[in-house]
Amino acid sequence: MRLRHCTISLLIVLICLAYARTTSAQALDISSGGQPTITGAVGGSVTGSVNVQDDLVVTINFGEVSPLNTNSIVKVTVPFALRSNQPYQVSVSMSGLTNANGQAVQASDVGFGIQNPRLLGGAGKICTQSTHIVHSPFNNDPAFTATVGTNGRVSYQSSLANLSGSTIILSGPELSKNNSIKRQQSDGWIFDAIFTLTPQFFAAGVSSATLTFSISAGPNVPC
Amino acid sequence: MPRKLLFKSILLTTLLTLAAVTCLGQSTTGTVSMSATVSKFVEINSGGAVTLTGNSGGGVTTDGVVNTPLAVAINLGELGPSNTNSFVTASVPLKIRSNAAYVLSMTATVTSSGTSSSRIGAADIGFGLGTVSRTGVGVNTGSDTNATSGDPTLAANGSVNGTTGRYEFTAVRSNLSAFSSATTTLSGPIIMNAVPRSNANGLTVPALFAVKPQFFENGTSTISVTFTVTAP
Repeated sequence: MRLRHCTISLLIVLICLAYARTTSAQALDISSGGQPTITGAVGGSVTGSVNVQDDLVVTINFGEVSPLNTNSIVKVTVPFALRSNQPYQVSVSMSGLTNANGQAVQASDVGFGIQNPRLLGGAGKICTQSTHIVHSPFNNDPAFTATVGTNGRVSYQSSLANLSGSTIILSGPELSKNNSIKRQQSDGWIFDAIFTLTPQFFAAGVSSATLTFSISAGPNVPC
Repeated sequence: MPRKLLFKSILLTTLLTLAAVTCLGQSTTGTVSMSATVSKFVEINSGGAVTLTGNSGGGVTTDGVVNTPLAVAINLGELGPSNTNSFVTASVPLKIRSNAAYVLSMTATVTSSGTSSSRIGAADIGFGLGTVSRTGVGVNTGSDTNATSGDPTLAANGSVNGTTGRYEFTAVRSNLSAFSSATTTLSGPIIMNAVPRSNANGLTVPALFAVKPQFFENGTSTISVTFTVTAP
């Protein structure tokens, strides 16, 4: 009898903890925004979940980016979904991509921009007093802002070189209408993170980097 | 339902619910991992039009077109004494590009219809690489090693053999007999900085061929030369 009471008490505590966790977590959430895509790659790929209820875990392989790739640019579009019942901001931090050889792929060689905000279903909230702001200089599609510099190298309006520590790229008012205790199919906004790499006479080698997208409470803007 | 079974059912349902809630749990972070590969890349193309001088008859059959694959055909014309020019020369511009250290090698074959030792042979075809140029936006500065002796018509690179009377290209790798198998002609460090392939600049160097008109055995000769660039 005592054991049964203890077990039931433990279960109640566990349920309360789970509820508390999901209730508190629902305020700010980032997840997959759908299937990522890649174009212009030779031997490249991108993997991520098509399900907007899955975590944002994307792996991009740009493939060959020497002149062996005769395409003009390799472009990857990664949709990510945001949910919040309060003003939010999204920051990105980067690790890796520290090639000592200046002719190897550098952070400035990877274009990075945020585009195409759109509702994630009917429960995404439309605010009339504030807009979602893509922070400068990231509000562009780097595939369209690529230019050749005086040194002959391709540069972009914004690139991974614009990330310094944890860099805020996006902020705005609340994103979700409801206060669901769980991540839903249609209760937020989707944005596209766009990455580009132009094949060039880079020094030979393999380069890699990891970006961490984080959502947190943002400036208190009205909805 | 026995109370034990009911209790176990509640326990199982609770655990499943917990698992489901955890699965649908939200997250404040996401990750995007990325990688890219740059392989060694080298290419050789035409550096432009061929220059043929000192010829009597003949001409450039298939000319070089800058930045297109190298496929040149030249008719050197008459190489007997009726050609009174000092040399028949052909200058074939090459353009090489790489994102790594490179080696340019060459293989040559010479065949003649003649049967005597006075027929045109590989040693009668002078060869050398001219001045190497690394210029233009996106081209890396670097020092290249020319393994030939340069312009084969230079006095230092050949002379009349005092015994046989035949003109000979005597300097190091100054005639095609030195290239019966793949032999390095030029090597150097990385040519291109990180610029797109659409950047048309590169390393240019003229491949110089020369024949001294002589009393060769009459007939026709065919000279075939293949350039290969690699990134060892």
